Amino acid sequence: MTDIIQQLIDGLGRGSGYALLALGLAIIFGVMHLVNFAHGEVITVSAYVSYWLAIHGTSWWLIALAALVTSTLAAVVIEFVAFRRVRGAEDFTMLLTSFGVAIVVRAGFSMWVSTKPRQFDKPGWIFNTVRVFGISLEIYDLIVIGVTAVTLAAVAYLLRRTMFGVALRAAAEDFDAARLMGIRANRVISGAFALSGLLAGVAAVMILMRRGQAEPGMGLDILLPGVLAAVIGGLGSLSGAVLGGFALGLAEVMVRAWILPEGLTGLTDGVVFALIAVLFIFRPEGFIRVGHAERV
Amino acid sequence: MSDQSRYLRAIAGAMVLFVLLVGGGLLYAASGGGSRDILVTQMLINTIIVLGLQLFIGNTGILSFGHTAFGTFAGYSVAVLTMPVSRKMAQIPDAPFGVAGVHLHPLVATGVGILVALLVGVLVGLALTRSGAKSGAVAATIITLALLFVVHEVSLNWTDLTDGGGGLGFIPRLRGRFWIYLVLALSLVGTRLFSEIRVGRWNKAAREDDIAAGAVGINLVPPQTIALLASVVIIAVGASLRVQSLGSMTPVFFYFDYTLLTLAMLIVGGRKGVTGAVLGVVVITVGNEFTRYLAGGDVNVPGLGWLLRPNLSLLFLGGAMLLFMLMRPEGIIPSGEIDQLAGRFRPRIADDPPPTVPAIEPTEQRVPDGPALVVHDVGVQFGGFRALAGVDMTARPGEIVGLIGPNGAGKTTLLNIITGVVEPTTGSIRLGDRDLTDLPPHEIARAGLARTFQNLRLFGGLPVRENVAVAAMAGERYRGDRPRIDVDVLVAMAGLWNQRHRPAADLDYGSQRRLELARAAAMSPTLLLLDEPTSGMSDEESAVMIGHVRDTASRLRAGVIVIDHDLHFITNVCDRIYVLDHGRIIAEGTPAEIQRNPKVIEAYLGTRAVS
Amino acid sequence: MSTPELEVRSLTTRYGAIRALRDASLTVGAGEVVFLIGPNGAGKTTLLNTVIGLLRPTSGQVLVRGEDVTGSSPDSMITKGVALVPEHRRIFADLTVRENLLVAGITLDSATRERRLGEMVELFPLFEQKWTTSAGYLSGGEAQQLAIARALMSDPEILLMDEPSLGLAPTLVDLVFELLARLRDEGRTMLIVEQNAQRALEIADRAYVLRSGEIIDQGTGAELRERTDLVSAYFGSEQT
Repeated sequence: MTDIIQQLIDGLGRGSGYALLALGLAIIFGVMHLVNFAHGEVITVSAYVSYWLAIHGTSWWLIALAALVTSTLAAVVIEFVAFRRVRGAEDFTMLLTSFGVAIVVRAGFSMWVSTKPRQFDKPGWIFNTVRVFGISLEIYDLIVIGVTAVTLAAVAYLLRRTMFGVALRAAAEDFDAARLMGIRANRVISGAFALSGLLAGVAAVMILMRRGQAEPGMGLDILLPGVLAAVIGGLGSLSGAVLGGFALGLAEVMVRAWILPEGLTGLTDGVVFALIAVLFIFRPEGFIRVGHAERV
Repeated sequence: MSDQSRYLRAIAGAMVLFVLLVGGGLLYAASGGGSRDILVTQMLINTIIVLGLQLFIGNTGILSFGHTAFGTFAGYSVAVLTMPVSRKMAQIPDAPFGVAGVHLHPLVATGVGILVALLVGVLVGLALTRSGAKSGAVAATIITLALLFVVHEVSLNWTDLTDGGGGLGFIPRLRGRFWIYLVLALSLVGTRLFSEIRVGRWNKAAREDDIAAGAVGINLVPPQTIALLASVVIIAVGASLRVQSLGSMTPVFFYFDYTLLTLAMLIVGGRKGVTGAVLGVVVITVGNEFTRYLAGGDVNVPGLGWLLRPNLSLLFLGGAMLLFMLMRPEGIIPSGEIDQLAGRFRPRIADDPPPTVPAIEPTEQRVPDGPALVVHDVGVQFGGFRALAGVDMTARPGEIVGLIGPNGAGKTTLLNIITGVVEPTTGSIRLGDRDLTDLPPHEIARAGLARTFQNLRLFGGLPVRENVAVAAMAGERYRGDRPRIDVDVLVAMAGLWNQRHRPAADLDYGSQRRLELARAAAMSPTLLLLDEPTSGMSDEESAVMIGHVRDTASRLRAGVIVIDHDLHFITNVCDRIYVLDHGRIIAEGTPAEIQRNPKVIEAYLGTRAVS
Repeated sequence: MSTPELEVRSLTTRYGAIRALRDASLTVGAGEVVFLIGPNGAGKTTLLNTVIGLLRPTSGQVLVRGEDVTGSSPDSMITKGVALVPEHRRIFADLTVRENLLVAGITLDSATRERRLGEMVELFPLFEQKWTTSAGYLSGGEAQQLAIARALMSDPEILLMDEPSLGLAPTLVDLVFELLARLRDEGRTMLIVEQNAQRALEIADRAYVLRSGEIIDQGTGAELRERTDLVSAYFGSEQT
């Protein structure tokens, strides 16, 4: 029993990061029909800023704050520089534009910093464990789950209760109709990128606390489970993205703990991928179906 | 042009590309040392892989990041099966399936590699085409990216078989370039021919518009699956050559950097054609080598030191991809092939004359032939909105039936239900003895219902004639027993003979409408369903259209259901008219009856018009 | 002659190969109710969408109170006092009734927005009990009222409407026309696309008839109502 709970918490911890990334991707997909492969680069940029601050002895609280700000700004800048120019283009063009941005960012860090990972100190206390009802839990997992819960609640509040949130949902549902209401296209899209960047920033802090390193190619690695979660959940659905993130995290932990034999845990990703492929064969639209009202 | 001469021309084009590529490579290598030799060998092998990518991405329009991952499967198969047993006993003695004790000839090993890659291809392909059909090509792209990462992860961790990140060595080296030339030539011919044969052309049609492809009887899944499997074979063979030429295999051989390199080649050159793909290989190879040279430390340009650093080539690849997307998303050669170039330089003495349109034999005129369409009690609800209720309608063979009603009455919805695009909540649709109610659109098209679209859905990037020809291939295959009109005659009848080589998207509005009718007619349908064939047309154009619809229907001995708002058009062309208002049939009769019917005038002009 | 509230000068709009609107000119005076009538595919919706800035014209001008606003985006048109009730209503089905109205007041300050929300409930009493209902669950008539209310949120001087009676049952069409009459009596300037020509002409000050992308006729509501040839614009020119 304690084992099950421990695995569950582990899975939720993993899923938290995926959910935050997937949610950010779903928000952008909603307003501009783009799957943003450069979303992970926002984390790469934050990682290098964190690295720089960390080697100059900045405290982790300030580093966390800086990572949030950097992610948000980076997302807005990327939209302004690249995506604004391909707005409304074919899916193919937009996908490759975001991929191109991801490569250019990776190239930049490879060229002007190093291809080697840059290490920095992790906050040690987060790896301590506490015992609750006989289950030993890492403080890190508790922080991650707690912060994610608060973040998701805040996003829900933002989307339901603020003018910006309502405008964003309106734009995601029918962009032209939203423009007719007086919503400015540039502003709502920039806002969507800022929000998705902020969510990536929260994920970035979690990831950096655990890894304590910056690397040019980390963006796509980190992004992949987030993108998969968004697709599993049903592309474009916000709640589906969050659901997909947690489902993916739990699936990984369960496959590792209960399905694969001891020596083969390295194949977890392969098994999970096969499961996802099977899911798409039987439920091609993902968990939550988003109506694409295409007029024929 | 006949199929055979088209194929011959394509093969000739592929051979020209082969000669240019290999000749250029040999010239370059001859002027330098052994490192140039290796570079040329790698470029030729990369070309094979890029052709594999082109076959899938170019023809289906689905962006795939994961195709190189199939190379990993083939690469490890070849590595594990061709390594000397003694090396395996030292490196991977616990390899599964007992492969540690097996030693195979490279050809056989390559065959096994192809089979392994194909096996994965079938599983991935199922997920890909299913999700692609339901949630757009974007989901398919993500699945392929996941495949790339996951295969890398697995090959890194399945140390029993792969010995992890260090990789496997001592693979017998390929001697000479014979196999590379052979495979390259076959790949060039194969990919070039693929775009000319039926399955390739159907893929291209579906790439341009999947709904329109369904409406001419094309089921997306088989062509896309065939394209995937064919591309997997090419990539598996290319991977086998790459592994044998390098003598080793590691998890990163067919991972991110290689995907980026080959994808950049395809995208920059022009993904829609073999010529573009080959050009891209050359351009990116040159650029990549040049940036490596610049960044290699031997070059000193004052003021540019900050730029000329290691990894400049990564910036080049990413930057090239990004700039092309922003400036020229279709690549250097957006469409067309080298063998089609010859036609452009041929002196234009006179274009081929249009084919003579055969006169309609009197016996052919309005001969009822085929089953009747019976729509019974059809209703549909969208959310709380009842768009149609209790609709009964019959279209008998040889008859032209009009469906009119004010905007929002449900006319297009009814047409969408009949053709399987929308599922009805109640009721049934039958064609003769056949129940069409739950069939997908392509099955309904094959059963004999061909349609046009209110908002025009042509295969915009394909030439005018090709729009008709892809439908005619489906007509030939699935409706061979029906009267047919030759493709060229259909093009000429639509008045598009002189424009037959232009992309359909370039035509003016009236021509696009006529082309859509020609495309539907090429299906040899039992029943043509036309959604507002004259909307937006001038009166003269409409008048031409009336004659055109009549003429086409009699030649095909097909019935017609035509939706229009223009009562003038409808009364001139129809034998019988149904009037739809608020989702219900409010009147049925001959044009004369309908024109006198007060309910109809009321529905059109407003509630108090008659009083 | 005073400057018209809204003027369209030889406007031409293409969709790709399709020239949906050719050289159309019209004026709408302050407080005037002008209808655009004509069969489907005539270019009526294109005209409204070009005026509001969803489409860009290939040539021609749009002027609001004499100011050239050609090519302005829809959001800046709102700030110039022009709002459109789009074809097919386009309400946000996933948003509640309140949120739909809230979004439509995005250009207002929050005090004005709250006041307008209250006024909309007064104008459309049915919203009160549907306030937190997702708009997707509204009936056709309710949805149409919401669409009109949304456009009224910004209190526009010029209201453009695209087929407000589309797909509505006859009793609901009555309701919509009563509402239009009320808005006319308030003195709001309106340019309305309507298929229901006879009903439209009853409350129209003036009307333009479109066919195949061109304005082929115009006149006061009374004038056009007298003409028998209006029927032929719909039923074809050979009709007598």
